[in-house]
Amino acid sequence: MTLLLGAFTIGLILSLLAMGVYVSFRIFDVPDITTDGSITLGAAIAAVLLVNGYNPLVATAAAAVGGAVAGSLTGVLHTRFKINALLSGILVMTALYSVNLHVMGRSNIPLMQARTLTSYSEKAGQWLIGANEFNLFGWRVGAGDAAVLVMALLAAIIVGYALYLFFRTNMGTAMRATGNNAQMIRALGANVERNIILGLALSNGLVALSGALLAQYQGFADAQMGIGMVVWGLASVIIGEALVGGSSLGLTIIGTILGSVLFRLLVAIALRWGLNPNDLKLITALFVFAALVLPRLMRQMKARPRSAA
Amino acid sequence: MLKISGIHKTFNPGTVNEVHALRGVDLTIEEGSFVVVLGMNGSGKSTLLNAVAGSFRVDEGSIKLDDRDVTKWPEHRRAAMIGRVFQNPFSGTAPDMSIAENFAMAASRGKTRGLGWALSKGLMDALRDRVATLKMGLEDRLDNAIGSLSGGQRQALTLLMASWIKPALLLLDEHTAALDPKSADQVIELSKEVIEKDGLTTLMVTHSMQQAVNLGDRIIMMHRGQIAHDFRGAEKKRLRAEDLLDCFEEIRRREQLDESAAAMLEQLYI
Repeated sequence: MTLLLGAFTIGLILSLLAMGVYVSFRIFDVPDITTDGSITLGAAIAAVLLVNGYNPLVATAAAAVGGAVAGSLTGVLHTRFKINALLSGILVMTALYSVNLHVMGRSNIPLMQARTLTSYSEKAGQWLIGANEFNLFGWRVGAGDAAVLVMALLAAIIVGYALYLFFRTNMGTAMRATGNNAQMIRALGANVERNIILGLALSNGLVALSGALLAQYQGFADAQMGIGMVVWGLASVIIGEALVGGSSLGLTIIGTILGSVLFRLLVAIALRWGLNPNDLKLITALFVFAALVLPRLMRQMKARPRSAA
Repeated sequence: MLKISGIHKTFNPGTVNEVHALRGVDLTIEEGSFVVVLGMNGSGKSTLLNAVAGSFRVDEGSIKLDDRDVTKWPEHRRAAMIGRVFQNPFSGTAPDMSIAENFAMAASRGKTRGLGWALSKGLMDALRDRVATLKMGLEDRLDNAIGSLSGGQRQALTLLMASWIKPALLLLDEHTAALDPKSADQVIELSKEVIEKDGLTTLMVTHSMQQAVNLGDRIIMMHRGQIAHDFRGAEKKRLRAEDLLDCFEEIRRREQLDESAAAMLEQLYI
């Protein structure tokens, strides 16, 4: 049961990352690899501030701001210096690797002694329930674990709802149009370059926020923790789209959250069944490859009989 | 009022693909005037439109709109004063977004886009009434993605979007060229109605002689990046499609003469 709770919690925390990837990949149509660096940046900033005794909320917010700055840098490289979007992301991601090591001062910061959002939620859970464990439908559940799960759920719901509301404002609508038809929204007076920079800032802010929460949950920040995370986010977005089917804004955001949780559950089950953890990234990449290619193959399969007849 | 003075534009300067697309165009369009631009392929008529819209900076000359010098303004800033309909029906609308959302963006053309709701009730009511006048049955489908509509419907909606906030200048770039004849007629009728209702200052590029003689109060004929003919007033009213064809024929003949003369000189001296 603890394993299941853990998978849910990590899935929800990473759903913030998935929503960040959703913003860059689906709304702006930019495959933004900055993600790999900015999730570590978020974890690094949060960890350093927490170790130095800052309030966990301040540390988490600072992490999100740091991610937003990294994302806007990618946006500036892409729009002002006309560098290919993919390459802009790679440049910033590479630079961030050094930046993250500087921020942390070493390659790993443990947070076991620090007061974090996780430790606060655990205490609050134990105080509310009045015991270290409780009975949930016959399962013995740690009160602290349950409280952390609730915190992660709240974070995912609040961020997802805020994102939904934002993309229905005048500013958010123009940002969606930027990815959908830049020529059109430029002719309607929007500064496309500025919108892309803002969008990548928003995306990487969410990713860094996710990194800060992840570091606090797993109890450490590590310079290597970002590797392959953009593909993880893509997998969540794609699973989410398959789950909800629709293409409306609200549905896809809900789908992204569900996709992230489901993907984490699948991974947890696979690991439990004896999957070598070293193969995890390979399988994730293969999965995203299949998810990107299959829809086209299916369309071709459907189209073929008609053209033959 | 639009005042264009001596604009030049060369694309890919210094390369084998160098094209001197605009060679000193002077044009003044009075407030409320509807000008049709004709010309053969490569004559610079679309380039002229794009220069006014701000798709690129001109190399020389100036462009003034309502007494403001917009020569150095970027495209999105000029958009506050300019409404546009493109040749490609896919260009003027965001396909994955709803009809209503597309209009919400048109309703904030040139304004600062803040955190107010895009789809306010006032906009939705006004939109339903306006779209109903198209008699296309779209007023009940405002939440549908605009990409699900036909090219003609999309072009009609783009036209309404371009004029939702009254523009100082309306630019129509062969906006019926990609449509079937029936849809093209509908969109032309709608264009006439929209332009007459608000007395919009309009610059329209077309390939169709018939459209040129039926619409507007002035015809500009472009050739090789310059204005070759300018018909206005009573002369424009008398003009028939055949006269325009004759004009083209004459330009073409002069062209051939130039080419054969050049060939002759080449043979003589090289």
